[in-house]
Amino acid sequence: MNGTEARLARIRGRALAKTHNARTIAALASNPGCARRAVMDAAGVDKPRIAAYAGFPAPFGQSRFALARGNAFEAQVKANGAAELLTLLREHLGLPIPQAHYDDLGEVGGNPSLDLRHARTKALLARAAASRGDAGTMFDHPLLRLQVGGRYAFLEPDLIAFQLHGRFHVVEIKSFAVIDGQADGDKVAAAAIQSAVYVLALRDALAEQHIPAEAVSHETILVCPKDFSSRPAAAAIDVRKQLTVLRRQLSRIARIDDLLDLLPAGLTFDLDPDGEGVPRRSPADLAAAIRQVDAAYVPECLSTCEMCYFCREEARGCTAALGRAAREELGGVEHVATVLRLAGAAGTPGAPGGTVASGTAGTPDAPDLAEAAELLRRAARLRAEALHTDAPRAGTPGREAG
Amino acid sequence: MSTLTSLARAVAVAAGTAQRTCTVRHVHVGARPLVFVPLALAGEAGAPLAAMAGADPQAPTLLVVAEPRDRDQRFAFAADLAAVVLRYVEGYLAAEEDTPGREQATRYADAPQLLVPNPAGIAFTRLLGRSTRFRRTEGPYAVPASVPLLGRWLTFFAERAESPASSLMLAATDMLAAHWATGQSPVEDLNLGALLGWIDPPPGMSGAQAAAMAEDPVRCPPAGPATDPTFDNEVLDQRMLAVRTARLAGDGRAYERARAALAEALATQLRPTWALMWRAVALLRGLPGGEHVRARWDADKDAFTWHARHVAAGGPPQPRRDGAVAAARRLAGLERVQEMVAAQRAFDDPLVMAEHRLAGEAFAGTVTAAEPDRVDRGGPRAVLRPRITVETGDEPRADRGATFTSPARPGQQARIVAVTAAGGRTRIVLELRGGMGRSLTPQPGSVPAVGESVSYAAFGDGYQPAPAFPAPEDTPWTHGGPPAPYVPSDEEAREDWS
Amino acid sequence: MLPSVSVTKSVETLERRIVALRAAVREAVLAGDRERASTLRRDLRAAERAWDDALAAAEAKAAAEAGAAAEAGAGAEAGAGAGHADAAADADAVHAAATAAAPAPQAAARGRGSLLPLREQVHEALSLLTVPAAPRLIATVHEAFFGGAFPSARLTSLKRDEERSFRAAPLARPYYICAALTADLLAPARGLLAISTWPMERRVIGSLSPRVDFLTAAIRVAEAVERLPAPVPAARRLLWRFAASIPGAADGAASMQPHEITEAALAELAVHQAADRAARQAAARRAREQLGDAEQLFGTRIGLAAGHRAGARRPAPRRRGR
Repeated sequence: MNGTEARLARIRGRALAKTHNARTIAALASNPGCARRAVMDAAGVDKPRIAAYAGFPAPFGQSRFALARGNAFEAQVKANGAAELLTLLREHLGLPIPQAHYDDLGEVGGNPSLDLRHARTKALLARAAASRGDAGTMFDHPLLRLQVGGRYAFLEPDLIAFQLHGRFHVVEIKSFAVIDGQADGDKVAAAAIQSAVYVLALRDALAEQHIPAEAVSHETILVCPKDFSSRPAAAAIDVRKQLTVLRRQLSRIARIDDLLDLLPAGLTFDLDPDGEGVPRRSPADLAAAIRQVDAAYVPECLSTCEMCYFCREEARGCTAALGRAAREELGGVEHVATVLRLAGAAGTPGAPGGTVASGTAGTPDAPDLAEAAELLRRAARLRAEALHTDAPRAGTPGREAG
Repeated sequence: MSTLTSLARAVAVAAGTAQRTCTVRHVHVGARPLVFVPLALAGEAGAPLAAMAGADPQAPTLLVVAEPRDRDQRFAFAADLAAVVLRYVEGYLAAEEDTPGREQATRYADAPQLLVPNPAGIAFTRLLGRSTRFRRTEGPYAVPASVPLLGRWLTFFAERAESPASSLMLAATDMLAAHWATGQSPVEDLNLGALLGWIDPPPGMSGAQAAAMAEDPVRCPPAGPATDPTFDNEVLDQRMLAVRTARLAGDGRAYERARAALAEALATQLRPTWALMWRAVALLRGLPGGEHVRARWDADKDAFTWHARHVAAGGPPQPRRDGAVAAARRLAGLERVQEMVAAQRAFDDPLVMAEHRLAGEAFAGTVTAAEPDRVDRGGPRAVLRPRITVETGDEPRADRGATFTSPARPGQQARIVAVTAAGGRTRIVLELRGGMGRSLTPQPGSVPAVGESVSYAAFGDGYQPAPAFPAPEDTPWTHGGPPAPYVPSDEEAREDWS
Repeated sequence: MLPSVSVTKSVETLERRIVALRAAVREAVLAGDRERASTLRRDLRAAERAWDDALAAAEAKAAAEAGAAAEAGAGAEAGAGAGHADAAADADAVHAAATAAAPAPQAAARGRGSLLPLREQVHEALSLLTVPAAPRLIATVHEAFFGGAFPSARLTSLKRDEERSFRAAPLARPYYICAALTADLLAPARGLLAISTWPMERRVIGSLSPRVDFLTAAIRVAEAVERLPAPVPAARRLLWRFAASIPGAADGAASMQPHEITEAALAELAVHQAADRAARQAAARRAREQLGDAEQLFGTRIGLAAGHRAGARRPAPRRRGR
């Protein structure tokens, strides 16, 4: 275990490292500036557990109905040697008839060893790549690996990689519907970035066998129910952009040392469990430790990260909590209290209530704040004028009644 | 958002309650809107689970699908919903009013209005309309006639909701967030309970505290259509299993009991949102309406009239996809409408106009000099061209020759003649034309007088002509050629509902 | 609805308890406290069962009382409850009787299928298909051609039970429901069932075998549909599921013809058959050479050297149903 690994292990504490999956890796791309998240993910911290123990349980849950539907659709598409998927691939992508192989790379004969499965996956994929269509078409439950922050994350996607004209395409099966050729944009975007994660992992698996990255196409296949039925439809997605973002993100995580250097040496999120596994550390103490690592909270965290409620509470009184654009619109000022001070007494009712983080009280305003102050003063003045003015305009005989 | 709105949010944080971003209401709120709160089954496209609907806050209709995977029960739900919605819409088909100078001589005197909790509710309505409007009333997959009719009306409402000028269908979160700034982010404003918590917190509680309570899905069920996963997993799953078990066992009494228990469980998820919806309506009714709201509602009445007559005359349902020309036209149309509505909101509302003043697109000040009788004899005819000088503290981007309009005199154009700085303030000379009568003497009051407070914007509220698009039959081949006329197909009637 | 005050009270109390427990379970889940959630869930189930029982008892009581009141003659006010309550009980009894007839009771048993043990139902379906198949397909085939309820939930343990039975007494039964083996590792193929009396070649799965077996099954189902004396919707639906995934088999569910589907399936089979047969024959040979009887039926466990297990090797191959 090298130095970085040791430091990360110390931060994680005695808990088992949380394994990544494509969803969590994809989420890494969403808030690149957050050190707290970067450190926790690199160390494999169980974020939901930590958040809950610190008093801010995450708002994410999954409905049994959605899970059941997703599983049922996937099972249906993959049934009988993936007959329905094969039909889609033939119809939409011109897969030649002889290419109808189906290999299940799932659990091998009762042995759950992930290394074994991964080895078998690599072997079969390599053989398929070498044979150009004779030895493999569709690969179900392949076990791939991606290096994230010095640790390997095993990825077991519900994807099937297949080969067309010597190139592999990642296939993602999702149960949200495509209606009249259109689907929910956010869901498609999420599927695209997850597919990109698999592309990277598949390229890595083949690279170990000296097979070039181009062997894995940047075009992935998304399979969804069509309209209101359970019949599947396929669409191709170009994930080059997502690949670029992901590679950048993963390289940042690889340089986690830079972040770790800023942290106090003894920092840990360990819960100090007793013999029965009951945590002994006080939640307040844990919260203090969490705060040692800077977060970059934005409201979008509420849909992507389990620490969101904790960080949101911490960010109360910051303009960033009001929206991504809010801080910029307020002249780049960081704290609400500062905004209100710069805006002047005009337009700010002196009512009590609400916690506001302390601003830069007592220090003279920096030159860059002067411009913000000017903007905010003007804004406050205009607002006050508009709110207290009487009729905004005089009525005239020339105007027709509205 | 803009600086003023963000500032209002900052103020809200300190004050502990939401701050107004408008002095008037910019949407129409009908005397009798139909509130529709749908719940969808997780994991399916627009699969209805339950709904509460009605125009009377004291008497909601509760609709429940006991077994959402059962096709027949889904369509029974649609038929029940149709009974509520169609009866409501029909109430507006009685009274008509004259519309002189328009294409159609009369239109309906008022139009229905559909209110849902949030944008996801609008999307759900659109999906429900899409899944029902192509159904057939005879043949192997027959549904009651009210179902495709419901589908066409729901699609109509959902399509109108796309236009910023329309109030035929509105999401409560959109309506409220357009008029108030909370101390949280726009993302959190999508939670109707949290939004109302900021705008109208219970006594003794701050906006933030009320919003936090609203985020607890056990205390405050989500407004839907998505249900809370813990509700699905701990309550709904069991209730539906009981229904299924009773049905399979052939036990009629147990089936009724199970069905009633399921309905009650779903009602617990709907009633709180129902109450929130009517609170939202009351809050908006409390604001005075903006001047242009009535004209926009008139356009809505036109659209409603057109659609009702189209349906009654046996016209086809809305096609699945727009042809290329229709799509381009629709997009361009929405952009123009967006600009028009933005301008009208500014004209109606000094607080909205203030945003434009801050951005340099408008200014307000006092008239310091005026030549109301100035006549320009330079051209072929003598024309009345009064000039006024306005002194303002604003810093507008006003180039010489640019045309501005005043909300007080929207029919009048004001051309910038000169802009000079004067001791920290700006002095602008404007030349006016129009809106003063026919003669060379302006009608009284049509020219601003010295000492009058005025405001001018670099945009007008008027209608802009549509860009020229080819007729649909002339769609160029690059865009797929002319669209084929719509012929209802067996495929559509047969579409599985899962 | 409920005539007895005490029963009503207990039902109400239970209802309040259920509502409170539901909220508590959900809150525990939201707080991330799994143990507490489990405990509360157990209490909630118990309360729901008690509620159901109490309500059923109350309704039965109401029906009985209404029946007694009817027998005693309409309008009699003596006896339990006031006339008002009797009238209410009457109404309840009528209501209860009506709702008892409400949904058409689903026949619990229909046809001879449900009288057979599960293993025989599986044998029937697999014999029709003549190829290894997944539980879902087996259930659908059985429903389509053999009628009756098919307890598919019990299929998950069938293979395990059959293996235990075989190991305990290897020749006791004429056939066993067994596994299909993967060609490369001779491990049990996930999710597939086969019949032990089939030749080894049929019970090994190469990478083209799923497709080949799908096409073969389609032909068998098409033949079975043609043999039906009258059209069965479930069978036609099943046939369409096959036809929709075979090029050239059919244009639509309404117009499909079994013999056309067979032709299309044969056409594609011709493309794959040789390669598939070769792979299966090679794998079957290895299985017969390297595996003992039980492993030939139920597959080998990996981790003890792939495809090769010294201890289980039989000294001489026994004559068995290959």
